[in-house]
Amino acid sequence: MIMGLLGFVLRAAVVLSGTAALTFALLWNAPGDPAQAIAMARFDALLTEDVIDQVRAEAGLDISFWPAFTSWLVPLLSLDFGNSAVTGRPVWPDLVTAMSYTFPLALASLAVGLAVSLPLAVLAAKRPGSLVDRCAVAVASLGVAIPAYWLGLLLILLFAVKLAWLPAMGARTAAHAILPALTLGLGVTASFTRIIRSGILEARGQPFLPAIRRRGVSDRAIGRDHVAPHAAIPVVTVFGLELAFLLEGLVLVEVIFGRPGLGTFLVQAILARDFPHVQAVVVLTALIFVTVNLLIDGIYRVIEPRIGERDA
Amino acid sequence: MTLSVSGLSAVRSGRTILHPTSLVIAPGARIGLVGLSGSGKSTLGHALIDDLRAQGRSVAHVPQSPDEALDPLRSMAFHWQEAEHALGLTPGSADQRGLFAALNIEGGDLSKRPWSWSRGMQQRFVIAMALIGTPDLIVLDEPTSALDPVVAAATMDLLDRHLDGRETAMMLITHDLGLAARRVFQLMVMHDGQLVEQAPTDDILLRPQTRAAQALVAHRNWMALPC
Repeated sequence: MIMGLLGFVLRAAVVLSGTAALTFALLWNAPGDPAQAIAMARFDALLTEDVIDQVRAEAGLDISFWPAFTSWLVPLLSLDFGNSAVTGRPVWPDLVTAMSYTFPLALASLAVGLAVSLPLAVLAAKRPGSLVDRCAVAVASLGVAIPAYWLGLLLILLFAVKLAWLPAMGARTAAHAILPALTLGLGVTASFTRIIRSGILEARGQPFLPAIRRRGVSDRAIGRDHVAPHAAIPVVTVFGLELAFLLEGLVLVEVIFGRPGLGTFLVQAILARDFPHVQAVVVLTALIFVTVNLLIDGIYRVIEPRIGERDA
Repeated sequence: MTLSVSGLSAVRSGRTILHPTSLVIAPGARIGLVGLSGSGKSTLGHALIDDLRAQGRSVAHVPQSPDEALDPLRSMAFHWQEAEHALGLTPGSADQRGLFAALNIEGGDLSKRPWSWSRGMQQRFVIAMALIGTPDLIVLDEPTSALDPVVAAATMDLLDRHLDGRETAMMLITHDLGLAARRVFQLMVMHDGQLVEQAPTDDILLRPQTRAAQALVAHRNWMALPC
């Protein structure tokens, strides 16, 4: 157990430092003059060479790659993301504000996805090939096929413009989160429905089920004690992957709906070449991924300890 | 109490795989159901179990391999309690210690899942589980074909000894005439979904009447096998 945890921490450290180094190198070597982009974002005007040079010095861009990398990496080890190159303010408070918009939205879309897909998949798997099943499969295919940015615009058109039921842009009230959550939720619903449905169908084909049934165990108990745990294994896997798609979708959806969350934060930072901001989001995202993977690994070991034994 | 069923049959995808069959099984009987692969032995076994269940009799079933009996995600203790619950017994009321001693698996750790037990022990656990509640009949479907010969022989010996003097009848489904010859008093020969011959074991081994029985006897050097 302790060895496993230690191994995990080591792997996480490799992933995190690799991600950090790669992002830094990519940003550093991206075409265009970062100092100019930062100065543009800061003063919002065309500027003389002197001003740009001054910005370059302030943002620490006038040194070579390795000194710049270490001067960024060392404070990062104590989770200090430094100050924004544009505003000069510390990154953390702004990052926390952005997260406070993003995480509730992410949770809401996961909740929408689970709330729709679980009953839908269970119903569909009850009788494969039935009308309900075919509808579920259709919903799943549609959800995968429709890109979030297009669906978001359609929802705005219907619920905000035509019906005027819900606000389209901004994040002032909870109602502002409904359309973005639905937009992201459909994608989540689609993949969860497919995976839960096929998970149940596959679990039902397990070779030991007929014998257990013949032992006199009720169908209800079989579903709960034998089918559900086997169906849960692929679902847990996809839950982790889904988080990746969700973070990706969040960037688009936040920009479409004008929400000042992590996605918007990231896009603005990239445009302004605000290195500390970009790095903060990337490292945070990597951290989320690593943590989620750890959780999933833990859940696996509870459901299926053979996975743990193979590692040992 | 004597078990009897009549008119058991089965049809799969339009083909009759079990022609109407009737059976009578006396208490404590040891019956071997033999025949080639695909002759309908297991089908008859399943139909027999389902029919007797419908009559309200208690019948236990031991499939060929423990993989077909145990959920790899569930502990042995869970399987045991589930079996007790299915029989309407309160958890822990079955004579687990006695059955485990009878099948020589006292050392097994019940908190573990099936795959941390050896296959021989898993299969004996499944047999022990089948004997909870002292069933009227235990149907063993190729119970030893997933085991090596020595473990298989030991398992059958333990089961024999446990059933000795009890009311529980045993039906051994096997294509292995050698196994059946040593364990049962009466043989039933299946061929093409039909029960073609039924007689005391020695009679069939020495004087097989039908072609199916003759073929089985001729192609098996049954005396030389360890079980």
